[in-house]
Order: sequence, then structure tokens, then C-alpha cells
Amino acid sequence: MDKSWQIVVMYILTHLGLLFFLYPANIIESSSEAQWIPIVIGVILHFVIVLIYLKGLSYFKNKNIIDIYSSFGKLWTILLLIPTGLYLLMINIIMVRAYSEIINIIFLTKTPLWAVMLLILSISCYLSMQELSAIFKTGFLLSFLFLPLVLFVIAISFQNVDWRYVIPIWSSDFSFIKKQSYLNSYFAIGGGFLFLGFIQPVLSFRNTRILIGLAAIVPAYLLSVYVPVLTFGQATAETFIFPYVAAVDGINISWLMFDRITMFFLLCLITFIMLFIALVLWKTVRITKYYIPILSEKWAAIGLAFFIYCICLRIPNWSDAERLFQINTPLRFYVILFVPLSIFGLGLWKKRKEGVNG
Amino acid sequence: MNSFIGKIKDAFQGNDDFFCKKQIICGESVFVIGLDSLVELDKTLGELKEYKVIEEIEQHGEELADIETAEASLLEGKLLLARTNKDLAISLVPAPVSLNRSIESSSNENVVLGSPISFNEDIKLNIGLVRKNMKSQHLKVKTYEMGKQYKKEIALLYNQEMVHSELLSKIQDQIAKFMNQAELECIQDAYKMLGLKKWSFVTQINTTEIPDEALRAIGKGRVVLFIDRLSLALILPGVLRDMIFLYNDHNYPYPLMLSVRLLRIMGILLALIIPGLYVALVAVNPEVLRIEIALSVAQSREGVPYPAIIEILIMLLILELILEASIRLPSSIGPTITMVGGIILGQAVVEAKLVSNLLIIILAAATIANSTIVGFQNSISIRIFKYLIVFLASLYGILGILVGLFIICTYLASIETFGIPYLYFNLNKGEKSSG
Repeated sequence: MDKSWQIVVMYILTHLGLLFFLYPANIIESSSEAQWIPIVIGVILHFVIVLIYLKGLSYFKNKNIIDIYSSFGKLWTILLLIPTGLYLLMINIIMVRAYSEIINIIFLTKTPLWAVMLLILSISCYLSMQELSAIFKTGFLLSFLFLPLVLFVIAISFQNVDWRYVIPIWSSDFSFIKKQSYLNSYFAIGGGFLFLGFIQPVLSFRNTRILIGLAAIVPAYLLSVYVPVLTFGQATAETFIFPYVAAVDGINISWLMFDRITMFFLLCLITFIMLFIALVLWKTVRITKYYIPILSEKWAAIGLAFFIYCICLRIPNWSDAERLFQINTPLRFYVILFVPLSIFGLGLWKKRKEGVNG
Repeated sequence: MNSFIGKIKDAFQGNDDFFCKKQIICGESVFVIGLDSLVELDKTLGELKEYKVIEEIEQHGEELADIETAEASLLEGKLLLARTNKDLAISLVPAPVSLNRSIESSSNENVVLGSPISFNEDIKLNIGLVRKNMKSQHLKVKTYEMGKQYKKEIALLYNQEMVHSELLSKIQDQIAKFMNQAELECIQDAYKMLGLKKWSFVTQINTTEIPDEALRAIGKGRVVLFIDRLSLALILPGVLRDMIFLYNDHNYPYPLMLSVRLLRIMGILLALIIPGLYVALVAVNPEVLRIEIALSVAQSREGVPYPAIIEILIMLLILELILEASIRLPSSIGPTITMVGGIILGQAVVEAKLVSNLLIIILAAATIANSTIVGFQNSISIRIFKYLIVFLASLYGILGILVGLFIICTYLASIETFGIPYLYFNLNKGEKSSG
């Protein structure tokens, strides 16, 4: 059944969730001027990879990547499926830990961290135990409830903007490519699109519509970085852990009864993140289930969530959480580059073989 | 007296409404047998005596030779005619004692624009009401007799052209499986019959007493189930849109219809969120409010001796009690409860500094918002979901509210009735768009 719009909505929601917290700080830290260059490079890379991935998947009608790799033999599953599974597990650990810390820093200073992590994980686990279509339908419903608020806050976040901070527009300094913080920014770019390979044949989609989703998210990349830069200027923006949050915190709307409109904005994004965590957990369960077929999916989800929770409890502070981002970097690039490329390559190979045989 | 009559007399021994009288009809001596609680005897005899020969009467009836069918037809309200020289009886449809209400306007669902007539207990009449409004050969009526001990007629109505074939066949399979397994008395029995989950917090069978709504559901490809002596149409499957959309909304001009429906959506959201928001803002995240408002909130709570969650739970409990009490009481005493409740909630509690007066406003708003939801059974679902949000808000503040909404969304998304998700908005055959 064609569920393109649900998938597009899911794509937009998860990326919005990923973008506004850590991405701006990473970009601002990595380049001191003309931030649009690193952003655009990232976005182009993202587009290219997703296009290759989609093209590759279109060679295999109604198959997910687990089916594809397993149909080409054990070696492929060991080379690609296991790293993907590990990467997804790590994403989950990082996300739960980092976002619980963010919640703790920004609005629940008195609530213990373990309670916040428990909440996020248990609810994501509950969602991931449902059927896949239920996950996407939840996303659709959430977009009705929360997306208007998010768009409203994005629209008013220009309140304190000073356009002179745009200058200088060009910079020939490309040293950011080697910086760790820039590589960390790919956390928001990579990983979000992998689900496209997992959802078939339960949900099918049209590639052109997915591209609309891809295009819709591009302004968000630029806004998340440029709003804080234009509000505070580069030098000040660099000092914040969450520059966009700080920029939105400064907004003052006289007709609203709430002082901190950010609260609602950020919490909406947190629900999108929970959606993302549930989706990643679901993918991890799929891979685990492939290797341990006797395991029931519900118990696998609960087991994985418990494992993630235990690991998260072992990470004592924010700097250790940031170290995880670094450790994760090689695996991240391995997965986001080689999974799409290998699917594309295998697709071409299959097509050529069928061409010869037929 | 022949053995047939003797057996029937034995079977109905101890029933004082049973009669077996000797009468001369068309010059022949016959026994008329029946239950005078169901048969109007004098009127029926008057009609019978107009016939010239008894064979003419026998042509109208049905011959019954075995005792079980004779008993069943007596219980259905038929009259038996037994000739003294024959060992069989003829069952006739007599003039019945009127046990049905006439068609009245609906008492539990209000219709502002459109016809207010409602279904009643007689299944034939209910089917007739649908038939009268939907003159189409595509409307199909299938009747079944259900029940282990007490037989009960049920009827499935659907539009052959529009209905989801999968939905229909699943329902029919379930009915065939259940046929003589257990009794079918109430909607919970219907859940059991259809194999639906017992622990469902939303209604998977939507009910209505307005024929227009049932018609619309049939037209949209859903299946309507009538149970004899239940004055409701059960619409299968229940979906989220039943909480928001009424067919009668189409009697408004289009923009007005949209605004009315938008209002109901806001009603649902407000009823869910406001009590939780109060707890979150007072107890966990007061910094979200403007300082002026935060101060006046704090001032209104001055002297209240317990935390916000206890305060709101006490008041919610009282409010739920008032709602339930006003249903239970006869309508002549009902206003008393409203008045007493109003005084307790409105004035005395605040003056006694047991709760803040802001809370009274919050609860009033939430209750009013809750009443905008279509269908009483649906509004109870929302009332229950509200507590989830209140509890989460007391622990996690505003995060708790959003997480609560997230859980509710997940729950609603996970419900499927006969393969049709609860969130389907458009049930037309072929186009399964969702939302």
C-alpha cells in the first residue's frame, strides 16, 4: 500500500527533532564564518546518498535491506548488517543519553536523570512494540498536534535577528572538513534516512514524494544555524551548547501568557525524537530478529531497551556523552556511505545478471 | 383432548398467562392456545370468527407437528389453533399486545438540524427506518438468531457496493462462530461475539440512536448491527472520526460545518490537556508562565495545604461523582445535585481554602470542553485519558503532558478493528486514505 505521505511526514519530523539541538552548535563551532558552506556540503552529500539509496532500493521491488543482503549471502550480512545494527544501537544509546541530559539542562533541573531516561525509553519501547504501520500513523497524528506549534516558533524566531551578521558571505577556509565537531554534525544528517530500506514491503512509497520531504527539510538546516548566528553573532553563538534554544529563549511575545515559548517548542521536538528512537529501536529489533529468529519481537524490544537503559546509566556526564559521538564517527560514515552504495551496487549487479539471463 | 395439547399444557405449567380455551370457530370446536401477555385474545377471536370455513384459516397459518417448534412459536407471540380431532396445531399471527414504544425523538443524542427520530427496541422497526431512508437494492439485510438459552434476533445491514468485503466476511465469520455459544444481551456481549478486545479504552463499536447517522455509516461502507430489544444501532468498526464528525453537520453551510468540527477537536485537546497543564505549571514548571501570571497563580493557591496533584484529584473525583449522580437521579431531583455541586465547587471549597479558585475555572473549562465530544461513550474515553496526562504532568511537568499525548496517539494508532485502523478517516471502498 502506498504510504508515501506518512513516510514523508515521518522523515520531516525525525529530522526536525535531530536538527535543532546539537547540529547548530556543531556547525558554528566548526566554521567561524559563512556557515552556509558546510551546511550545503552536508545537505548535498545527504541528497546524493539518499538518491543512491532510493535508486538501489528501487531495483528490489518490495524487499527490505535485510532480505536483500541475506539473498546475496552471509558475507554481505556480516559486512553490512552487523555494523548497521551496532550503529543503530549506538545511536539509540547516544540519543537517549544526550536528549535526557538536554531535558535535564533545559527544563527539568530537579528531576533525576534516570527518571527522564526511563520515561523516554519506556515510551519509545512501547511504540516500537506496535506494528510498523502504527509507528507511522503515530507520526502522522503527532504532526497534526505539534507541527503547527513548531512552525509557529520557527517563524517567530526571527524576532531578534540582525541581518548584518550574514556577512562575510564567502570564506575560502575549508578546514572545517577535518574538524571533529563538523563530523559530529553528520549525526543529524546520517542515520535518519536508513529507515527507508527497512519498511518495505509493509509500507511502500514513491521516490518522487520522498524527495519532496528531503527538499522540505533543507530550510530547517539553514535556519537552525543562522537564527542563532544572526541573533547573537558568531562569537557569542559559539559559547552556547544549544545555540538555537538560546536564540528562541530570547523571544518575547507580549500577547502570550507564556514566558518561555521555547519550552513547548523543544518538548514538541523531544516527542519527535522519541518517535525517532522508537523507529531506530524497531530497526534494531528487525536485525536482532534476523540473527535470533526464535526471539519474539516484543521481548527483543524490551530486552534491547533494557540493555540501552543499563548502558545509559553507566555514562556519568555530558562530556562522556560527547565522547560517544566521537567514537561513533567512523562507524557512522561506514554505515551511511556503504549501506546505500552497496544496495545500489547489488541492484545494478542483479539487473545486469537478469539482463544476461533474460 | 389429544396428546399434543396435553404436552403443550405440561410445558407451560406454572405460567398464569398461558391459556388453552375451547372455542367454536366456523362451526368447529377448536382449542386456541397462546400467552395472553403477548396475544390480544378477544380481538383475534373476533377476526377469526369472520371466516366461513376453517380450512380458509388454516391456509394463513403454518402447520406444526412437533412440540419444540410449537413452544418456540408460542414464545414468539403466536397463537396456536388445534382441532380436537387432529394431532397437530396451526400457528397464526394474532393481534399482538402492543409492547413497543412508538417512534420518538432521541433522548440521549441531540440533533440541532435534521430529523430527531430515534431507533427503538423493535428490530423490525429499526430495519424499517433504515430501509425507508435508503431506497436502494444495494442495501442488504442479513438476520441471525443468536443466543444459547434466550434466542435473540440480530441483523446486519450493509451496502453491498460500498462495504469492505474483508470487514464483512470477518464479521460474518465471527457471528457464525459465536452463534449458539453464549447469550447476547448487551454491547459487551457484542464485543465478545465479534472477538474484539475486552480491554479497550476506546469504543471499537460506535453506537448511535439516530437513523441518519446509521445510514451515513452504511453509505460509507461500514456495517450496522441491530440487536433486538436494544434501541441502538451498533456501527462497525468504531473509528476516531466518530468522536468529531456527525453526519448532521452537513446540514450547516460548509464553512460553518468546518468551524463546528474544529471546535470539537479543540474540545478534545482542551479536555485532555488543561487539567494536566494546571498541575505542570503549578507544581513543576512555573517558570514557563509570565511572572505576573505566575504570581497570581501562586496567590490563588495561598493556604492550600496539599500539592497540586492531590488538589486536582480531589476535585476531579467530586466532578466525576456529580456527572455520574446526575445520570442516576430522576430528572425531578437532578437539578438539586447540580445546585449542590455548583455551590460546593464554586464557592464553599474555595472559601474553605481547600482548593484554589483557579482550579475551579480549569475544571469547569475541561468539563465543558469534554461535553463537546460526539457520543457519550467517547467522552468517557477522553475523561479517562485525562488522568494519564494529569499523572505524567505531576511527575514530568510539561514534558509529561506531551508524552501523555504521545502515548495516547500511539495507543490510538495501535488499535485495529477487523483490519481497519482506528485512525482511518475515509472508509470509502478502494480509497483507504488515513489520518
